[in-house]
Amino acid sequence: MENRISVAETPQELLEHLQRENLITGKILVFATADMDVNCDIRTHILLLTENELIHGFSTELTTERLFSGYKRQTPKYSEFKYDCYKVSSLSTPVIDTLVVGGIFSICVDNSETALCAFTNAYKGRIRRLSDVVKKLINNEEINEDLLFEEETEAFCPKCGTPYPESARKICPKCMDKRKIFFRLASFFKPHAFGIFIICLMSILGALMGAILPYLSGSILYDEVLSSVKKSEILKHIPINDFSVLLLMLVLTMVAIVVLQQLFGIIKGVVVAKIVPKVVCGIKNKVFKAVQQLSVSFFTGKRTGGLMARVTEDATQVSNIFIDGIPFILPNVFIIIFSFAIMFSENWILAIVAVVTMPLIIIVSIKMEPILWHYYSRDFQASRDMRARLNDNVTGARVVKAFGREKDEAKALNTANDAIKYAEWASVDFRNKFTAMFQLAISISTVLTWFLGSFFVLDFLKPQMSYGTLVTFAGYVSLLSGPVNFFSYIFQWWSGSMNSAQRIFEILDAKPEVVEKINPVRVKELKGEIVLENVTFGYEENRDVLKNISLKVEAGKMLGIVGKSGAGKSTLANIITRLYDAKSGKIFIDGINIRDMAFSDLRKNIAMVSQETYIFKSTIFENIAYANPTADKKTVIQAAIAAGAHDFICKLPDGYDTIVGTGGRSLSGGERQRLSIARAILANPKILILDEATAAVDTETERKIQAALSELIKNRTTLSIAHRLSTLRDADELIVLEDGKIIEQGTHRELINQKGTYFKLFQIQTKALAMRGIGD
Amino acid sequence: MIKMEKDILQIENEKVESQLIINSLTPENCEFYETAGGFAAIKVGDKDYGHINIIRTFPFSSLWEFLSVREVEGKQEEIGIIEDLNIFDKPTFELIAKQLEIRYFMPEITKIISIKEEYGHAYWSVMTNKGKCSFATAAGSSGAVTKKGNRVIIKDSDENRFEIADITKLTTKEFKKLDLYL
Repeated sequence: MENRISVAETPQELLEHLQRENLITGKILVFATADMDVNCDIRTHILLLTENELIHGFSTELTTERLFSGYKRQTPKYSEFKYDCYKVSSLSTPVIDTLVVGGIFSICVDNSETALCAFTNAYKGRIRRLSDVVKKLINNEEINEDLLFEEETEAFCPKCGTPYPESARKICPKCMDKRKIFFRLASFFKPHAFGIFIICLMSILGALMGAILPYLSGSILYDEVLSSVKKSEILKHIPINDFSVLLLMLVLTMVAIVVLQQLFGIIKGVVVAKIVPKVVCGIKNKVFKAVQQLSVSFFTGKRTGGLMARVTEDATQVSNIFIDGIPFILPNVFIIIFSFAIMFSENWILAIVAVVTMPLIIIVSIKMEPILWHYYSRDFQASRDMRARLNDNVTGARVVKAFGREKDEAKALNTANDAIKYAEWASVDFRNKFTAMFQLAISISTVLTWFLGSFFVLDFLKPQMSYGTLVTFAGYVSLLSGPVNFFSYIFQWWSGSMNSAQRIFEILDAKPEVVEKINPVRVKELKGEIVLENVTFGYEENRDVLKNISLKVEAGKMLGIVGKSGAGKSTLANIITRLYDAKSGKIFIDGINIRDMAFSDLRKNIAMVSQETYIFKSTIFENIAYANPTADKKTVIQAAIAAGAHDFICKLPDGYDTIVGTGGRSLSGGERQRLSIARAILANPKILILDEATAAVDTETERKIQAALSELIKNRTTLSIAHRLSTLRDADELIVLEDGKIIEQGTHRELINQKGTYFKLFQIQTKALAMRGIGD
Repeated sequence: MIKMEKDILQIENEKVESQLIINSLTPENCEFYETAGGFAAIKVGDKDYGHINIIRTFPFSSLWEFLSVREVEGKQEEIGIIEDLNIFDKPTFELIAKQLEIRYFMPEITKIISIKEEYGHAYWSVMTNKGKCSFATAAGSSGAVTKKGNRVIIKDSDENRFEIADITKLTTKEFKKLDLYL
């Protein structure tokens, strides 16, 4: 209950106003808001449903600005609204007309249809809820407590008030504890602490080498070496008088420094190359491991579906900041301090001038660098699209040729190629602009330093300074541009990476909805009796797919489940296997509630053969043995024979060693189906679920599979879901599902005699088969 | 008894067969009218379906052809298809056009005031034909901005849509702001 809020919660100001006006007489059930008139003009509407009335209020003036998720909406002045009050007894037929964006809510008042308001997507959930509750009130039905609560849909961060940019994801990008995320993230790098230390050390040493260079090429070269005719203070201890030898020494020192700098760079590069793939791989492994533990509902949810798609990119993004960002902080700080120390000690006035012009570089970096990234990502996106298209073309070459669409495809490829061209042009164009502006900003600082410095050198300004010092100075001004640029984008980069990390942790921290009980009941061998007691289930709240289902299947018997698409047949199979948990009611297998049973025991004893066959990229042998990895070759062959798969496998050149799945040998629908039956046979389950096992194959294959299945179902409790009723004739019992309820139950003969839905379906199918000349 | 079975079978067969062909709605076989609430409604023969939904089967390529007319409640079954709205009289055309305008409503952006990016989201402030709108899109999401020819559709984080009917009509400054997201 902790994340649920009452849908009756009404703003205090509105409540007081309505009470003053004596409009409320009953207990408030649902409060909802909407943002449009029926003709889509912007106006704030409120709907307040109580036990006795529906109050519809709307602002008398149109709203001038519409703020969607991501912006903080202002509280309207409810006292200036106009209100209509409708008695519940006068209401009927609430209807939501779905629009491309949002919908329109209308209701009949005294049998006259009244369109009350329209709304965009953010308001949809609550208005739907209100409509459902009104319906219940009108029909005098009991209002389920669940209807009056909903998951918290708070649109704003409770801490800072920033609106959530994605209303379905309650993450405030500003307030998320980036430090906490950072340290948690750092734990991924813990095993590589030594490597990271080396990277930092090498970066610092490299920076030190870089920082020494301007001093050597400035003060030392000009003031000490070039003026060595008069022996300098620094060099007077060196017993060499020859200028050229001094110069040679300096040059050699500088070369050595450059070589060392490169060497440190190479060592760092090698360590980075070793660590990065390991860490990225480690993060992905953790994510994939976490994903395997999650419930099926996680993958089908809209919010998390998007997360999954980005997680691999996120892993790379996150590790980049640790490799290309964090280790450079210290060296850059070092360079800044070192440069400033030298500059200020040499000439503080000139140093201040140099510092004052630094913001130019910062501005250029902050303003232009993010845009440059945008262009790069667009470039990347265009290349990715092109690759995808090319891939489609190659894998679908048969279809392209069969339909003679080569020219059109070439044209489409050209368009994709053009997109890359334009994206590259744009990014190169902008990069040039950025580089020019950045260089200009640096040049302005340098030129100013040279200009002003000349006055010091020429002694127009005090204190007098040597030419070498000025050169050193200018060298440090250019050297500073790197760290300044670095710090102007590292924060944004860091913030983006923490966002990526947050998404990764959302997956790592997601709690599976279907969880195994602590100390579950262990059952080695099941008999296979299934009992459902008043089971209700829905994938979404308020939309039950199964309604109050009760049934019993004795061990070893076969239950056929019949019904139209969407009646809830496969859902029934999903909840028996605990891919989802029933919302209410209980499911027992051999008298044990499946919620108490160990996952491994439950899944080991239930096997499912469905229309959706999944073939893994591996050998046929391994695909069949998936259900029982310890199975030996003989057992696998036996299972394949029983499934009618052996013959076609033998005809393949590589037999059971044939690689199948993506990129491997392609199998026909029937062949895949038979492999999955073989898998089920090998699992040797006590309960078998056949979900449209033969729906995707031709009649000939179907007969073969049926024969295989009749072997398989012997001595097992079988739930068979099928559209083709002829396949269910031998079932011990049949149920007909419609709209989530069991509407008929009995044997084939009994149901035929009942002349109900089953009879109708059976007649139609028999006739259809007879017309095709394949009837029995 | 046998006769009853045959009747049931016949009705079912007819129902199945009727689902396999286009049930064309023409001025001759149906009549559209407006409900008290301002919605389009239809009478086909003797049957009054009342308030209906009208859906474009080709919302981008055929605005006035192949409109699917469906029930509002329950399974929203198709009542029929208007193959060409132009064959209906003016009041009917206008009634249906009004319904379609509402159903496919999305604010049309006339001016881009600003697009700011912060913490991985782009915050848009735009002027539309329905007033000023401010919304957020996920900056890294490739699906947020779709360009088809000169038309651009922007989907915000709640899947609300905004349209720029013709990007060539944007000023250079506006286009530059948008260009990053195209």
